[in-house]
Order: sequence, then C-alpha cells, then structure tokens
Amino acid sequence: MRIGSHEIKLERRESLRGWQAASISILAIIVALILFSLIFIFAGKNPFTAYREIFSYSFVNPFGLPLTINRFIFLLLCTCAFIVPYRAGLWNIGMTGQLYAGSLAAYAVLYALGIGESTVTHLTPWVIIPLMLLGAAVAGGFIGSIAGYFKGRFNVNEIVVTMMLNFITFWLVSFMIKEGGPFMNPGGRGESFELPPTLHAPLLWDVPFTLIIALGAAILLYYMFARTKLGYQIRAYGKNPAAASYAGISKLRIPVEVFVMGGALAGLAGYHYFAAVPGVYKIARNYGYFGDLAFYGIICGLISQGNPIAAIPVAFLFGGLSIGGRFVQGKLGMSFGIDYALLGVLMITLVAFQFFYRYKVVWVRVQEEKLDVGIPH
Amino acid sequence: MSEFLIRSLDASTIFTIAALGELIGQRSGVLNVGIEGVMLFGATLGFIAAQTTGSYLVGFLVAIAIGALLGLLHGFFSITLGGDQVVSGMGIWILGFGLTTYIGNPYTGPLGLERISPIFGLSPFFFIGLVLVVITWYILSKTSLGLRIRSVGENPSVAEVSGINVTRTRYLCVIVGGALMGFAGAIYSLDYNPVWNYNFIMGWGFIALALVFFSMWNPFILLGGSLLFGTLWQLSLNPQLVLPGVFSRYIWRTVPFVITVGVLLFMATKWFRTRWGAAKPEALGQPYLKD
Repeated sequence: MRIGSHEIKLERRESLRGWQAASISILAIIVALILFSLIFIFAGKNPFTAYREIFSYSFVNPFGLPLTINRFIFLLLCTCAFIVPYRAGLWNIGMTGQLYAGSLAAYAVLYALGIGESTVTHLTPWVIIPLMLLGAAVAGGFIGSIAGYFKGRFNVNEIVVTMMLNFITFWLVSFMIKEGGPFMNPGGRGESFELPPTLHAPLLWDVPFTLIIALGAAILLYYMFARTKLGYQIRAYGKNPAAASYAGISKLRIPVEVFVMGGALAGLAGYHYFAAVPGVYKIARNYGYFGDLAFYGIICGLISQGNPIAAIPVAFLFGGLSIGGRFVQGKLGMSFGIDYALLGVLMITLVAFQFFYRYKVVWVRVQEEKLDVGIPH
Repeated sequence: MSEFLIRSLDASTIFTIAALGELIGQRSGVLNVGIEGVMLFGATLGFIAAQTTGSYLVGFLVAIAIGALLGLLHGFFSITLGGDQVVSGMGIWILGFGLTTYIGNPYTGPLGLERISPIFGLSPFFFIGLVLVVITWYILSKTSLGLRIRSVGENPSVAEVSGINVTRTRYLCVIVGGALMGFAGAIYSLDYNPVWNYNFIMGWGFIALALVFFSMWNPFILLGGSLLFGTLWQLSLNPQLVLPGVFSRYIWRTVPFVITVGVLLFMATKWFRTRWGAAKPEALGQPYLKD
C-alpha cells in the first residue's frame, strides 16, 4: 500500500524479541476487548459501564478479588498444563479431562480411607492433604500420559485423543457422583460428598495454599525450559522432531514426559477447584463449567507464547475477566454466557494476531524510479 | 428396534456430512480441527433462524452460509496468512463453542416447529447424505477438478508449476467443506434432536474429524465409518436395547469415544499402515506460501 512517498509493506521477521512478542500480545488483548465491546453494544449496554463494572468487581471489590485469585490459580495451572506440551509442538486440549481425573482421584483418596461426610477423620490433614494432592497429580498425569504415549509410540493425533479423553472423563465423573455412584452426596443432589472441614485446604490470608503451587510451577517450568537439559530437549523436539531424534532425543520419551507433566498440573487444578476453593469443597453439580474454563488455559498459553512467567499476569487478567463477565451479566441483566463469549472472541483475535508474530509491518521510503536509457545528460 | 435403526441412520447422516466437509478440505491439504465449532455455529444460528422465521429452509440456508463463512475465515488464516492450521482451527472451535453458548442461550428449549416429514420412514437427509457421498467421490476421483484438488493436497508447488491456482483451489475446498459442516450442524439441531441446549454437539465434530482419518480420505469408507459410529452413538444412548442392566448409563456414554481412540490406534499400527497408509494427502497441514 502506498501513501505519498512512503509504502507500507509486510516483511517476514528474522527474530522476535521478548518485548516485541509482549507488545503484540498486549495489542491482541486490547483489540479483543474492543471487539468484545460489540457484544455489549448488541445487547444494548454501554461497553464503558460494562468494563468498569467488570474491572472494579474483579480486581478491587472485596468479594470479587478473592474469586479472581482463585480463578487465577486455576487458570495458571491449566495454562502451565497447556504450555509444557506446547513447547514440544504438541497440543494438550485435554486439561478438562485431566482436571476431572485429578479431582476424582483427590476424592478417591478420601473414599479409600473411608472418610465420608459423616465420619470424623482419624488421620491428620498433614497426611491426607498431601495424599490428595499426590493423587490428583498422578491421575491427571496418567490421563495425560495416554495421549503422550499414543503420540510418541503410534503417532496418533493428540488433539483427537485428548478431546476424546475429555468426554470419557466427563461421563466418568457423572458416573461417580450421580445416581448412586460411589462418591454420591448422601443428599442425592447430583454432586459428590463434601470434604470434612478438617480437610479443607489451608488458607494463607484467605487464599488457598495452591497459589504457591501454581506460582511455583510457573517459575520451575521457566527454569526448566531455560536452563535444564530436559527443557532443551523439549524445545528441540518442538522445533523439529526428526532432527531432535537424530540428535538422540527420544521420539517416545518427550511426548510422554510433556503430557505427564501437563496432565499432573491440570490434575492439581482439579484439586484446587473442588477441594481448595472456599465455599466449594465438593465436586459440584456444574463441574462441566469448570472443565470449560480450562480452555482459557489454551488462550493464556498462546498469548504468553509458551512463556510460563508471562502466563502469570495473563492468567490473572483472564481470571478477572471471566469472573467479572459472570458478574456483569447478572448486574446488567444480560443473557447467560458472557464469559463463554469472551473466551471465543479472545481466541479468534489471538489467532488473527499470530500473523504478527511472524511478520512485521514496515514503513519504507519509495525509491524514485529513474529512467536511465544510457544517454548522458 | 426399527426406531433404533432409523435414529442410528439419522445420526450417521450427520457424521457423514460433517466428515465429508472435512475430507474435501483435507484432500486439498487444509486441516480444519475446528469442525466442532463450525457445527455448533451452523446448528445454533440455523436453529435461531428457523425458530424466528418458522421456515426450515431459511434455517438450513443460514447454517450453510455461516459454515461457508467460517470456512472462508479458516482459509484466510491458513491460506492467505499462511498461519498454523491447527491454531486457526482451534480458534474457530473455541469461537464457536464460546459465542454460540452466549447467542443461543435465550433460545434454550425445543424448536417448536412441526417435524420434518420422513421419506420411506427415513429422514430425507439420509438420502441427501448418500447423494453427497457419491458426488464427492465422483468429483474427487473422476473429474479434472478432483485431480486439481488432489494434486494441491499432495504437492502444491508442483501443482502450481503445472498451472493450477493453489490458493483458489484450497479456498474452494475449505469453503465448500465449511458449508457442509454447518449443514450437518443444522441437521442435528433441526431434525435429529430439535432442542437447543448448551454445547449440545458434545464431541460429534471431533468424532467426525477422527472419521476422516479412518476413512483414508475415501468417501465410501467414510460412509461406512459414519454408519458404524452413528449406530454406536445411538447404542450408547440406549444401552438397554442390547445389554440391559450392564453398566451405568454414564459408562455407556463413554463408549463411542473409547472406540474412536481404539480405532485410531488400530490404524496407526505398523500392520495397518504398511497395507493402507499411503492415502494421506502429502501436504496436509502445511501452509503453501509463494515467495
């Protein structure tokens, strides 16, 4: 496109610096929020009012902020669960299934120890809570490993497998908590039995301790990718699996390892939402909603370009937006699903912006074309 | 029992048409993992259009149009911008999942129109599906257009040199493919189960995606796979017809998904690949960028 003596051109990027990636990501979020304001306009609401309500409820309001923090912990774990395979060039869209498995395993620990709603525990929470965490991580990792193993061993498309596992575990949760399933609430409300109060996750300043796990996971992953041999191998596999295999990096081991790590993190996210968030402490009837929220992890992972530290602010922002979206929907009397619509709009904007991670817009001066026919003036 | 068979054929029709859309795109080298999102869009907007206008025809046309539009969008991201096809497909899926949940919510509930009348006891779409399978097969393997599509999917640079417009061919395929997926979604929401509910496609799109891999990109094998999965799906809803009292109904719901994974595994075995594995379009999933 030509404007005056200058021209706008697209050029393939040779390299992408950290600050460039960050500014593209921030721009993508801003554009998505502008596009999303159309939803409010179509619903006949003032987008400025709506955004003010969303931000003030999620990040300032004393009722909203704790919800945002809990959502943030969940999203950060899901994001990390997405990022680890993503760095190896693999798509984990099975956070949903992995977190269902994690929450089932956490409750299975209690069930195995014979702790129902009515009985009083004879073991200290210092033993049981770590066991629940371990169970959640192992179960999530196991579900993840299925996709990883099939990918590594048989080269089966991991997207289809993880998605199938999401549906399989979704129905397994229903089986366990509904219609006489082993974990059914004695009240028969289609949800699991409740945690005894002694086993509620410890709170630090009203925030579940899982915050430390989530932040720790992000920092450890950053360290792993930057400094360790495993991190290097994962990145090498992600760049080019064939070349990595010539360099002696196992084509089977890497997919299994990244999916086990990712699955374990998603399993912990399941523990967090169903055993650590104040006011829940059971596998809720609408557990499918929490499974759907895990897809925000994909968006956070893509926006942070697979960088676990960058994922921290992104997950916090999206945690707040999803909480605030729900709130503003009630407050302004809009129809259900604002947070779902936001999910979709963010995702598609982000996809469009992927282009700018590879290309840049340059502004060049047009060379005046001289007519040179070889005759001296 | 005959009711069960009819429902199974109805379900297979939806798998067939959605998967045919995917197959056409993949034959030209474009993978669209967002098939579930396109189906959700077609189903939801088709449902809303049919309910507000009272006309099935409008509903289906809207669904086909939105499907084609999403195909165009996928084409824009993956052909013109040369982006990662998986990223774009994921984007379309999550867009569909998120936005239709919001848009469709006020319409939750039954469609409230008179059911589409069957032909010879079967849904008319079953016959449309059969015709579409034959047409797709004929175009892909017997016409010069089909040859162009296949060569673009196998080796786009060679195709370009021999005078085929790769971009145009791929756009044509993703748009037609998207239209078919949207149509399949509308068959679900207007004929198979005319009740709008949150995320009601429940994995059909992903099973259809897997079906294309099973079919080895052959429309007739695709039809066979769809018949199998349509029956399986119906069985998972009504297990009492075959094995009354075995397993909870929730466990039965997992069966189609478990079998999908099982069949994918079977197809990935060395034994299978050495015999049948050469059918995959060589350039599937790779963007083609002219320098």
